Amino acid sequence: MKGSNLTSDQYHILLFLVTLPYMLVWLGAFYGYGKLQQYTNLLKKTPEGIDFQCIAKGVRYLAYGLPLVALASISLSTIANSNPGFKPTAIIVVNYLSLLVPLLAYNMIRKGSHGLVERSKTRFSLSDMRALVMVLVVIGVAYCYFTFKKLNLESIGSSINPYYLPAWIIITTLIIPYLYAWFSGLLAAYEMVLFSRQVQGVLYRQAMRYLASGIVFIVAGGVGLQYLRSVIPRTGYIQLNSTIILANIAYAILAIGFVLLIIGAIRLKKIEEV
Amino acid sequence: MSSKQDPQLYAQVVRVTNVYLGPAADRFVARQVQNHLDKPPEQLTKQDLLKLIDWIKVAVSLLTEDSEIVEEYATQLQHLATDKKKLRKTTHK
Repeated sequence: MKGSNLTSDQYHILLFLVTLPYMLVWLGAFYGYGKLQQYTNLLKKTPEGIDFQCIAKGVRYLAYGLPLVALASISLSTIANSNPGFKPTAIIVVNYLSLLVPLLAYNMIRKGSHGLVERSKTRFSLSDMRALVMVLVVIGVAYCYFTFKKLNLESIGSSINPYYLPAWIIITTLIIPYLYAWFSGLLAAYEMVLFSRQVQGVLYRQAMRYLASGIVFIVAGGVGLQYLRSVIPRTGYIQLNSTIILANIAYAILAIGFVLLIIGAIRLKKIEEV
Repeated sequence: MSSKQDPQLYAQVVRVTNVYLGPAADRFVARQVQNHLDKPPEQLTKQDLLKLIDWIKVAVSLLTEDSEIVEEYATQLQHLATDKKKLRKTTHK
């Protein structure tokens, strides 16, 4: 509300409108997780059941994590708005919560996708691996560049920056784990695509393609959103600028991902039910 | 057609199904035999095969609108029923 002529009610209406698309994505995430879990429950006694269980668990972490981080951010920012001394704590807590969700979710999805690839003895393509490493290098270097621009690198112990933490702590406990999480996510997406391309069964493959494409979009949207949120530090209040447009694009990609995941899970479930 | 149990027959049906349903093939065929023929999968006989093919056609029609795939799959199974040793090469790998 600071710096604008909005009343409290107007601010809350604006907040609701800004977060409405996000809430729809959260609903999609929960529905997608529900469908995937239903499918996974049908595979309990099968060899690939354990792999799909991991993927469903990863999607569950995302489904719970997305609203959890947003609610924590809003709640802690509200407290920080009335107690300015609490603002650094609020921002640090939300930054670490934001990291925890992809770290757990992508690792779990990757564990599942790796199991599927191993089980089907699918071979990695060297050119695909090169492209994957290249994407990660570009993302990593750009991420470090944008983050370091905001840090006082002359004094590595200084916490006078938008993250309210010394640079060495940011590098070791935020930047490196984020890069690891994104690598896990990208690798999981790649392995899912690989499995969906090479697995036997024309009808099974069609359904798997939807699921794999869903994971690709979910990881891409998620990485985009986390990238944005960590490169452009949290301020604790709504800013109507290009950041919100980019965040909405990332949420739209996430939404497409969850829709594809739902279609894939429904089709796979049908194969196990007819 | 013989009503004698053929332990290889179930495996052959699964092998054909694998081309269409991949890792779900074994579970799919076992379910069709148990639910529609009321017998354990390993007791499948050639006599049961035509009835099983009809049920499989119904089930697969629920999974895809591509009638070509359904017909191709049914034809492959019919070859097992008529003792054709060589299966026709499928268009879907």
